[in-house]
Amino acid sequence: MKGMRKMLLYACLMAWSAFASADLVLVANPKAGIDRLTQSDVVNIYLGRYRHLASGLTAEPIDIEGEADLKARFYRRLVGKSLAEINAYWARLVFSGKTQPPLAVVNTEEALQRVASRIGALAYLERGKVDRRVAIVFDLGE
Amino acid sequence: MYCMLRLSLALLLALACMGLAQAQAEGDASSFSLRGFGTLGVARSSSDHVEFVRDLSQPKGIRGGQWSGRIDSVLGVQANWQAAPELELVGQVVGRLRYDRSRDPELMWAFAKWEPDARISLRAGRIGADFMMLADSRLVGYSYLPVRPSSDFFGPLFFSHFDGADASLTVALGDALVRGKLFAGETREKTSGTPGIWDTSGSSLHGLVVDYLVGPWQFRANTARARFSHDINTAPLPALLREAGLALGVPEALAAADSLASAGKASRFFSLGVVYDEGPLQLQGMVNRIRHESGVFENSTAGYLLAGYRMGVATPYAGISWWRTRDRTYTTGLPNVPPLADLNLAYDQFMQASRVDQVTYTLGVRWDLWTNLALKLQWDAIRGSSASRFSFARSDAAWNGRTNVLSTTMDFVF
Repeated sequence: MKGMRKMLLYACLMAWSAFASADLVLVANPKAGIDRLTQSDVVNIYLGRYRHLASGLTAEPIDIEGEADLKARFYRRLVGKSLAEINAYWARLVFSGKTQPPLAVVNTEEALQRVASRIGALAYLERGKVDRRVAIVFDLGE
Repeated sequence: MYCMLRLSLALLLALACMGLAQAQAEGDASSFSLRGFGTLGVARSSSDHVEFVRDLSQPKGIRGGQWSGRIDSVLGVQANWQAAPELELVGQVVGRLRYDRSRDPELMWAFAKWEPDARISLRAGRIGADFMMLADSRLVGYSYLPVRPSSDFFGPLFFSHFDGADASLTVALGDALVRGKLFAGETREKTSGTPGIWDTSGSSLHGLVVDYLVGPWQFRANTARARFSHDINTAPLPALLREAGLALGVPEALAAADSLASAGKASRFFSLGVVYDEGPLQLQGMVNRIRHESGVFENSTAGYLLAGYRMGVATPYAGISWWRTRDRTYTTGLPNVPPLADLNLAYDQFMQASRVDQVTYTLGVRWDLWTNLALKLQWDAIRGSSASRFSFARSDAAWNGRTNVLSTTMDFVF
């Protein structure tokens, strides 16, 4: 009976951690001097409208292209748009010779390395993959 | 001025080539990029009596229910080189239907962009005038919802680029952004005139754009002024009117001759726009007003509303647009007797050639098949008066103001 309860607790914990890691967060370099960003800050940075941070730095957003539906989930939660709509949005700006889209990297580890090494860099990732190299600045929720 | 711009364009291209070589040598893909866009489209317009065109730069349109790829098909390539963190060089070449009926490649952009910080952008070289709310280019079909930007609204804006500079500043006001942009330069384009080709190269162009962005809303006010370099082809009418006016002592005939001039005359453009873009819903609306000093063009107002709602991979949309010019009173003051009656008739024809009075109802659907390719199907019903002719190429006497345009396109980016 005691073993059963322990197993149940363990199962609950597993479920919780799976749930928690499905959470998306936005991370920055800890030295960037960013405490928190608001939803509209993140929209302005990722859609290339305004990338000037309060600290005077220029934000350098990163897109992760190679991990299943991570990018699609991020934009769906941030602005409720499909990837095709985001691509069409960037086609407007890129072929007008305006702002560049976020830097594309293959996976979360590459994004983490870039955020750790570039002071203005920002990336989204699953909460479970956050480590000490980066700081969470915005929570996209489940 | 012109030589300097030519030189700076050549320099930009050389720099871009050097950038390509350097990027390849270093194996560094991030500082140089080559991208492209295109549209393969066919459309048919039901009327036998006018040719439907995408905008007034097109010398030939579609008519008589014949399917044609003429008006919407386009291919473009663009190179970007981030030469330094603050400096980017951009060049774009496009093949599309031109004023002379060719599809010769055309240099659309060739500019250097300097961004000392994320709030300020300065560009110089060949750049686009962003009359559209969402982009400088009206040719990237993949980037917008309908088959083409509203012909009623954008039809009279026949120029795509100019040689000059623009400067923009963005400031944050709480959660809102305000962006102001000033631009000035000279156009380098020719357009299809009625009759023949109208050389507008060397016309000066300047203006101001102010955007206010907050949440899903974007508001815009835009004003621009162009001063034309050359007359539209009305010869020999002005000389004949002057001769008759002087011989018969009719000052109105001299004024009529002057009214046909466009060289040195300015046109002013004002527009207001709003976009609401939230999740699957997109709404857009713009109105404009164009005022001409030259008598060959009637003053006009135009507007459009467009709404789309994404449902999975399909986005159905509906729109309405209108374009109206204001009739003017005019006279040569010459008696209507031969041979002067011919002059009066020719003058009437020129003064009525820029008349438009029409409404367009649009229904369509866009399918996003992949994240870089979309198919569109669109139906436009144009309902106007029989005097509404400026918006089309070549109309005949039997035109009744009604035509239906069916269009289908495949739009892609790469």
